[in-house]
Amino acid sequence: GGQEGPDYSREGADTCLSCHEDASTLAIFRTKHAVPSDPRGPFGHGQLQCEACHGPGGEHAGRVRRGQERPAIPYFHPAGTATVEEENGQCLGCHNSGVGFGWHAGEHPVDEVACADCHQMHIARDPVLQTATQPAVCFDCHQAQRTETRKAFAHPFSQGKMDCTGCHSPHGDQVATSLVRQTVNDTCQQCHAEQRGPYLWEHAPVSEDCTLCHSPHGSNHPGMLAKRAPLLCQSCHSQFGHPSIPYGPDELVTGTPSRFLLGQSCLNCHSQVHGSNHPSGSKLMR
Amino acid sequence: DTSDWACEYCPFQQGHEGDYEVGASSVSDDSAYFGNATGYDEEGAYGNLDGEGSYASGAYRMVWTVEDLGLDSRVAELEGSHAGKFDYNIGFRQLPYRQFITTSSIFAEAADALFLPNGWVRAPTTDGFTQLGSSLVSRNIESDRNIYTIGGRYLAGSRFSFSLDYRRQENDGTKIQGGSTFTNASLLPMPFEYVTDEVDFAVRYGADNAFVALSWYLSDFQNDNTALFWEQPFTGAPGADTLAQAQAPESRFQQVTLAGGYSLPELRTVMNLSASMGQITQDTELLPYTINPNLATDPLPRSSLDAEVDTTNFAASITSRIFRKGRIKFSYRYDKRDNKTTQDTWNRVIVDTFPDAGEELNVPYSFERSYLSLSGDYDLFDMLRVSAGYDRRDVDRDFQEVASQSEDTGWGRLRIRPGSGFDIDLRGGASKRDVDNYDEAFAIATGQNPLMRKYHLAYRYREFGEATVSWSPAATPISVSLTGLFADDEYTRSELGLTDADEVSVALDLGWSVTESTSVYLNTAYDTLESTQLGSESFAEPDWRADNEDEFTTIGAGFNIREIGERFDLQLDYMRSEGTSKINLDSAADAPAQFPDLETTLDYLRVRLGFRQSERIEWNLYALYQTFETEDWALEGVTPDALPLLLSLGATPYDEEQVIVGIGFRYQMGAKSGE
Repeated sequence: GGQEGPDYSREGADTCLSCHEDASTLAIFRTKHAVPSDPRGPFGHGQLQCEACHGPGGEHAGRVRRGQERPAIPYFHPAGTATVEEENGQCLGCHNSGVGFGWHAGEHPVDEVACADCHQMHIARDPVLQTATQPAVCFDCHQAQRTETRKAFAHPFSQGKMDCTGCHSPHGDQVATSLVRQTVNDTCQQCHAEQRGPYLWEHAPVSEDCTLCHSPHGSNHPGMLAKRAPLLCQSCHSQFGHPSIPYGPDELVTGTPSRFLLGQSCLNCHSQVHGSNHPSGSKLMR
Repeated sequence: DTSDWACEYCPFQQGHEGDYEVGASSVSDDSAYFGNATGYDEEGAYGNLDGEGSYASGAYRMVWTVEDLGLDSRVAELEGSHAGKFDYNIGFRQLPYRQFITTSSIFAEAADALFLPNGWVRAPTTDGFTQLGSSLVSRNIESDRNIYTIGGRYLAGSRFSFSLDYRRQENDGTKIQGGSTFTNASLLPMPFEYVTDEVDFAVRYGADNAFVALSWYLSDFQNDNTALFWEQPFTGAPGADTLAQAQAPESRFQQVTLAGGYSLPELRTVMNLSASMGQITQDTELLPYTINPNLATDPLPRSSLDAEVDTTNFAASITSRIFRKGRIKFSYRYDKRDNKTTQDTWNRVIVDTFPDAGEELNVPYSFERSYLSLSGDYDLFDMLRVSAGYDRRDVDRDFQEVASQSEDTGWGRLRIRPGSGFDIDLRGGASKRDVDNYDEAFAIATGQNPLMRKYHLAYRYREFGEATVSWSPAATPISVSLTGLFADDEYTRSELGLTDADEVSVALDLGWSVTESTSVYLNTAYDTLESTQLGSESFAEPDWRADNEDEFTTIGAGFNIREIGERFDLQLDYMRSEGTSKINLDSAADAPAQFPDLETTLDYLRVRLGFRQSERIEWNLYALYQTFETEDWALEGVTPDALPLLLSLGATPYDEEQVIVGIGFRYQMGAKSGE
């Protein structure tokens, strides 16, 4: 005789819905996963409906003796015994060609992040796919980044107007920190293309890596700068004269105010700090 | 037999469903900081519309979102799909950027020019600006970014897909731009109007064990204004009454990427490859050396830069779980920026005042970076996983002090799961960045003190570590997570420049689902960034030292109670964030001195009360109280004429308070899930 297949429920979703009729479960029918005319989807003709993701439910839906604990559904149940990798395998069974390859190359599987840690299936609008609610999902694990975004000068995550996936690819990629473009600068310049140049007079660190001066998740300092000018600039510039002079508190407005320190500091004059396309702009003043 | 399962009781969506909220709110005060990204920048009443809806018919499905339609932060997005055949999206987002509403300017504005007011009397210093008081006009520093998107994907059978996405960003407004001469400077309210078009096109073939994708990316930046002209308010050099600087040049970036992946299920191994080639071009017409008619200049070596930067990116990785209890991962990445822009000799005119006697060559910076990583982990016991890895990063640059540098990093990690919902994750490591030679002769030729070591080029030894302890007991709906990390950078071979930088960050999260309808949370975090740098006023040995210390503390807490008396929901969120930056300066010439602390304090309290009048009608009452204060010596007291040689815009430190109260009427249309 042939081998017996997995023990599925008798009538599929109809069996499941005879008990699981709460609104939060039924919200699956407001999602792409529950389109009966999608032949590839769990509810397409001939597909396994709820058990496509949750696994064979025969035991779970079967009769239990009085006092016997009902066996858990195999996947995506708090009492289930499936490992993270096995549960992710349920998702990747369909989504492998889309996200699986990058996923395996990224850092999330190393940390045993489950697809269901971030994605909610039984909800019409998955919070991690909405700009306003996505950062909170990511910050559950990425606490240091949440801390930075709460600093006074940050991209508008707290206002719900920017999401992490504008810059990062959470399903993994081969770029450091899973950026959506090939380099840090390519990523920043999606929105800040005016800084791209290439300029006649380039500022070397700008051409190389925006994060040499900026803290992109947030900073105590305006412009998300890593440090206050002029000290930030003086970390690299030591030319004789005003670049190498220490500007102290006696040069605030309460003393002898210095244009090298106050207002925009170095940028009062060297305003083209990202580069200049002016023939006389080698000092980034034109 | 599962093949004939038909779900008679499945409440599949048919037709339109939606939730829409019409609201009105009152804002107590003008605020740049709180208007930033939200649109609540002015005192007064606001009307609003939010909502989301969907439509389904057979295999067709559409979902849409409208958000903040009455505000400058409005969003409207629509996605549609025919299951298994195609999907598409179209959207609009507006993002307001509000920086200062305390600024004022003397200049009248055109598209690319700033004019002095009639009757302006020039003077060598700001205290001679007799017309200043009567000429200042409030000028907000703000801009608006409009983002238009449209895209789609077509599935050709089960293996091929084609996708095309287009995004246009229109960003216009006013930004602060310094405009200087040899002795003085003005902070200018520079008008700008940028447009960026982006296109992503991809063809993808995906099978169970392999995929190949070929994609093309275009980013086209447009700026109609090649220059900013401004009339000089100070007494200047003869002929230098109107000055000009270049604006951001138009540029185009194109990139072609071929990516592929292959998996060997029997070996539990996945391989990925990606190769990109790109080109950035920029050919904006150059301005003359000066527009000062009194200065004779040589002709430009060329009328436009004709810049070309070629980019190459390559990446490969292999991840294998060939051992049942272990995983090994190898990855390699290579990035190259090859600036092929021709070098020429240029004869600079110094700030439109006098020609420079020397000649200058433009410096087209190029670099190559490679990054190799090898790591592995092994489940030593069920409760213990050990991991270790080695990374090497090499960077080659031209036209800089360091031609070649490398960084070696070793790290280890323990992940312990002792049971009872505990998860302990410990990791740490060290890296050493070395350089082949810090070329002091090159540094001297560019005017640098030969002892300076730029921090991204310098020798560095780094130690780093991170520890996370989390507890999520299965039986209790409580989660606790405590994370701490540090990085300690030592630039021990730097005599000038950054010599030391330390970072510490700690975060604690608590979450508790008290009942099915009640949850509370608390999170708090602290981080600090400390650094030391040395300088030399005498252009010799170090004779001054600056210590920076940035501290930041935040706390967030709140609760959410649903279905109070079956009809009410109550939600409260509170957040406070405090940043303090201390700078100490110790120089040979003066006694040690400490700057006044730079401080930022943000408070946020939001309460929302929801009332379900019926199954379809809900009312929302909400109140938001928020304050933001800064202590900032760079702005404090810097009125437009506070500095003799700087005409500023008079921006002040933030001291903003805002109360927003609002009411929303929410109506649900169509079937409810479960009906």
